[in-house]
Amino acid sequence: MSEQEDQLVRCFASVFPALTPEEIRTASAESVAVWDSLAAVTLVAVVQQEFGVEIDPLDLPELSSFEALRTYLGLCRDAGPKRDVNTNQ
Amino acid sequence: MNLLDALELLKRPIPEPASDQAIFLECGFTPLHLKTFLAAHLRLCFPKDRIEIKTGLYGDLAGNLERVQPSGRSVVCVVVEWADLDPRLGIRGLGGWRSTDIPDIVDSARRQSERLTHLMKEVADSVPICVSTPTLPLPPIFTTRGGQAHHHECQLREIAASFATSLSAYRRVRLLDLQRLDELSPLGWRLDAKAEITSGFPYSLEHASRLAELLAALIQDWPPKKGLITDLDDTLWAGILGEIGVEGISWDMAGHAHMHGLYQQFLASLASAGVLLAAASKNDRALVEQALARSDILLSKDSLFPLEIHWGPKSESVRRILKEWNIAPDDVVFIDDSPMEVAEVHAVFPQMECVVFPEGDYQAIWDLLKRLRDSFGKGIVSPEDEIRLRSIRAASTLRSSLQERGPGTEDFLRNAEATITFCLGTEARDNRAFELINKTNQFNLNGKRFSESDWLCFLQDPAAFLLTASYEDKYGPLGKIAAVMGKMAGRKLYVNAWVMSCRAFSRCIEHQCLKYLFEKLDADEIVFDYEATPRNAPLQDFFAALLGGPPAPALSVRKACFNAKAPALSHRIVEVVNV
Repeated sequence: MSEQEDQLVRCFASVFPALTPEEIRTASAESVAVWDSLAAVTLVAVVQQEFGVEIDPLDLPELSSFEALRTYLGLCRDAGPKRDVNTNQ
Repeated sequence: MNLLDALELLKRPIPEPASDQAIFLECGFTPLHLKTFLAAHLRLCFPKDRIEIKTGLYGDLAGNLERVQPSGRSVVCVVVEWADLDPRLGIRGLGGWRSTDIPDIVDSARRQSERLTHLMKEVADSVPICVSTPTLPLPPIFTTRGGQAHHHECQLREIAASFATSLSAYRRVRLLDLQRLDELSPLGWRLDAKAEITSGFPYSLEHASRLAELLAALIQDWPPKKGLITDLDDTLWAGILGEIGVEGISWDMAGHAHMHGLYQQFLASLASAGVLLAAASKNDRALVEQALARSDILLSKDSLFPLEIHWGPKSESVRRILKEWNIAPDDVVFIDDSPMEVAEVHAVFPQMECVVFPEGDYQAIWDLLKRLRDSFGKGIVSPEDEIRLRSIRAASTLRSSLQERGPGTEDFLRNAEATITFCLGTEARDNRAFELINKTNQFNLNGKRFSESDWLCFLQDPAAFLLTASYEDKYGPLGKIAAVMGKMAGRKLYVNAWVMSCRAFSRCIEHQCLKYLFEKLDADEIVFDYEATPRNAPLQDFFAALLGGPPAPALSVRKACFNAKAPALSHRIVEVVNV
């Protein structure tokens, strides 16, 4: 597991303290009951501050799982902010 | 603190038993991360408290203030922004920024600031209130180019300043110092336009954290330090007195020692606000007396008591000063230019704040003055603050006289022409009584402290009473030195708090307090919420002498027993009834 992924797990754990690290890796807005709009805004703010990235509000609906955010941040690191999280391009 | 740190801090369990505290965070925007940061900073300030932060409705600050209903231990924290004075001063509304709209915006902001002032003063009647006035930059609505102030812009700033001035005059309002916020959070980095538009939260995370940190400190309102012990050579003045003589030392620009002059001037300011000052210097006493008598000195010799001038260890001087002042080491700051002396004192008094005077470093001395203001600052300078040093000198004189005379204290007290002024009522605005109960350790019934909201809540009970005692004798006034707080139930009194300043020991004032309560409130018995604490031995001794044995919890004293055991009391009594 990369340092970046560890940090993302830490961000999730701060917003969803009841989840284990394993549960965090499979977490999504559908599977986590407390993942509401307030939690989503807080999570995005934490991720932006910790990773030093700007997340476009238009991307928020797509960033509704750990995997989606992990992929998004990976793209950010490689090629600057990227929008299409579904195709990973 | 970043957001992740704040969230992780809030995940930590609170050690039990925890006290509950409610904070009403009232603002017109979505509190979002400000609430998180405030909760985190409050956790640092109150590690043993379970704090619940309650918030109001978006866009309705005035309504939130009208609806707030604090109860129990609580504080109201109000964060005002320009949009609360007129929505057109925010960026979420589109109400018009035409030049013809601006005079109306100014008028509406003035009216709303007056309304908010009125509402906050009403809230402050029943609960402590912390207020932050607008912190964000004004939007670019004025016709002048950036860098040139417009008349309407100045008017809006004047409205905000008047708003703050009006609130600051109200004792129970604690106003956030925007100058301190400016130092911590640059104006240009405060607004997060994206967060404001997308979520209704106008602050950058950095600004939210800084603002929350200062608000938490306002809510905490920690007690100020009480005394400062200063070195003399290369600290109070520049130069070594024993080497260059009385005329050689300096504290002015001509002597390249102006920062020492500022330090003297600052200490004089502290003294005028009731801070105790003493000097500890390895020096020749006669020379020091001459130096302190120089006509151009900015800190009068009378402000320094006691003077510990000799060649012994500094820690011994500090020990003697603490004994004379009768206060604890953690209430004192020690300042000396020698790191070795500072280390020696700190080794003996690890609880004491010991500071190396940064001789020759202008900026560091300036920073030291600011740090000292933080340590000693207080909301109100009371009459007791102004006479504190005189009363300590008087107490010292009295102690010496009593020691010289040995037995026969009653005789001595009769000749001291002592007067006790009692004030009985439920005056919640008695800041001195509140301060005494929260600062006194030695003659203290149980060591329990009251928050301002606990205090107000207690005194609102119709059965409650608050008795305060002020003392004066021919050696000088001691000011208000005792407070007893409790509740009446028929002919029985329940005393929840009883404190007396250590400066007032050995004068039988404690006996007079009980005598007055028995007589004035027509009581047969007084039940005390007594608890032994590590520091209340003087109170334990008092009860042991009165009851003929060590006190125990839930102790009570009957009037007949008191009258039989109390010594002859010869004070003149003056009454001020204040219900």
